[in-house]
Amino acid sequence: MPEETIYQHMQGKGVSRRDFLKLSGLLAAAMGLTAVPPLEESGLPKEVVKGQAAQTQQMVARALETKQRLPVIWLNFQDCTGCTEAISRSVSPSLTNLVLNTLTIEYHETLSAATGFQLEQAKKDAMEKYAGKYVLVVEGSIPLDLDGAYCVIGGRTALDLLKEAAAGAAAIIATGNCASFGGLPKAKPNPTGAKGVWEIITDKPVVNISGCPAIPEATTGTIAHFAIFGALPELDGLHRPKAFYGKTIHDRCLRRPFYEAGKFAMSFDDEGAKEGWCLYKLGCKGPTTYSSCATIKWDEGLSFPIQSGHPCLGCTEPDFWDGGGFYQGQSAPLNRPTAVAAGAAVGAGVALGIGNALVNQAKKKAKGGEA
Amino acid sequence: MNWQATLEFARGPFFYAALLFMLFGLAYRLVTVIGLGWSKDRVPDKGSKAAGVVKTFLKALLIWPFIPWVKNTFTKNPLIYIGGGLFHLALFTTLILGAPHMLVWKSLSGLSWPTLPLPIVDWMAAVGIIAMLMLLVNRRINPVLKLISGPAEYLSWLFVFLPMVTGYMMTHHLWFQYEVLYSLHMLSVDVMMIWIPLSRISHFIFYFFARAIHGAEFGKRGVAV
Repeated sequence: MPEETIYQHMQGKGVSRRDFLKLSGLLAAAMGLTAVPPLEESGLPKEVVKGQAAQTQQMVARALETKQRLPVIWLNFQDCTGCTEAISRSVSPSLTNLVLNTLTIEYHETLSAATGFQLEQAKKDAMEKYAGKYVLVVEGSIPLDLDGAYCVIGGRTALDLLKEAAAGAAAIIATGNCASFGGLPKAKPNPTGAKGVWEIITDKPVVNISGCPAIPEATTGTIAHFAIFGALPELDGLHRPKAFYGKTIHDRCLRRPFYEAGKFAMSFDDEGAKEGWCLYKLGCKGPTTYSSCATIKWDEGLSFPIQSGHPCLGCTEPDFWDGGGFYQGQSAPLNRPTAVAAGAAVGAGVALGIGNALVNQAKKKAKGGEA
Repeated sequence: MNWQATLEFARGPFFYAALLFMLFGLAYRLVTVIGLGWSKDRVPDKGSKAAGVVKTFLKALLIWPFIPWVKNTFTKNPLIYIGGGLFHLALFTTLILGAPHMLVWKSLSGLSWPTLPLPIVDWMAAVGIIAMLMLLVNRRINPVLKLISGPAEYLSWLFVFLPMVTGYMMTHHLWFQYEVLYSLHMLSVDVMMIWIPLSRISHFIFYFFARAIHGAEFGKRGVAV
């Protein structure tokens, strides 16, 4: 129950003090806390706030000891549930465990045992009980065309549901590229008029945890950050936490030395591919893609796309579905003139040139010079 | 400012329009110049025109660059000769043998080829940038050059310099985020492509025609090229 602190809840589950401190350290690391963030709004005890030099681990431990559990409401709209899949299957023990078991997810369509009206009632109750306190997580884009008729749940449009839930939320976390920037539903020609959350809700803080799916540690890490510090982490221009989206894939890529050395795989089955050379020429979007795939990786740090031999698709960036071919070098222009278009341009130039030449020759003749 | 959208514009519609304008403009100017015609030359040929053309290209591309000191253009203006030579070498190395640029050619033409390692291309780019700065200083110091340089010359310098310097900064992630520099690089490239047919940068096409005409004239008169 939210009245007990997070630590008390974990004690109840049989977590030892030693394991608890370990978890605190892990959490601090996972959230990318190298230094203590601004704490005025965190609501932590004064002696903790004052001790700015304190270890981040102690900070997290103290926060977990004093803070109450954080209610989370999770809405699914135009999505594939891939982000939920990623979180529920992520093996990363500390963060996911914290979010799924220790924080209270009050409403989640996919993970709930209850269905139908019963579940809708539970959501309504939670929103009333924790008004102004809960974190709203959104997965999937919101269609605006046809008055939102493309996505209707329980007879209400996604837009309606989002606005209702956002009104009482303390903060909103958009997980996945769809909820952040519109994602696949927004790809040209965007038939449903899909939009990301931050384009619709402008009066509340919205964090974008983009990705397809979002890295589970980034989603849970951000929720944990809010639970612990009572504030959202530092964000970049696209509202993504800098801790997870501060560097490009290219910056941290294990194949980067091959890029520098000019060793590239030219196809998916050549010698270069077998040697693990750089995938830039196979369309890797790593240089313009801000994400921590290359460091956090997936499946308990097992691998990530580039390590497994596939170029980065750039899935944490807006409109990545329309950002040029997935297998076309990322320096290549997005619009290429066809032979016909190029020929027409040259032809027009030639025609105009001939016209000009004829005029010039006529002038020359009129002047009496030799032709 | 939304740099991703700027980048999409600079790599997409703007690039497309600039490329077509460049093709149109170059074709127009070339045909106009050729269409001016030649005066009738009734003097009988003393040698082969075709041989003159072949000789001039062979000498210009394979011999003079390697023994420049036999030419007045070198001995009188070594700085321009070396600076200009290094600039062109650097430019073509980067544009043709740099991996990202090769991918541009590949996407446009379907042809691909092996590329040089980044550090080599990188040093060449640095050489090109330094050469351009040297040439600009020279242009400001040399009284004759200064006199014959108008806004068009300085704009040509600027529109070539900007893509080079933004490209270099982009490779090294200097000061700005990558997509910002990438946007600036593409925007400056687009502007340069529009400027090319309007300016003397078009010499990269006209050079070959001018050289061929001179070679033919020399060949016809049986003069050493």
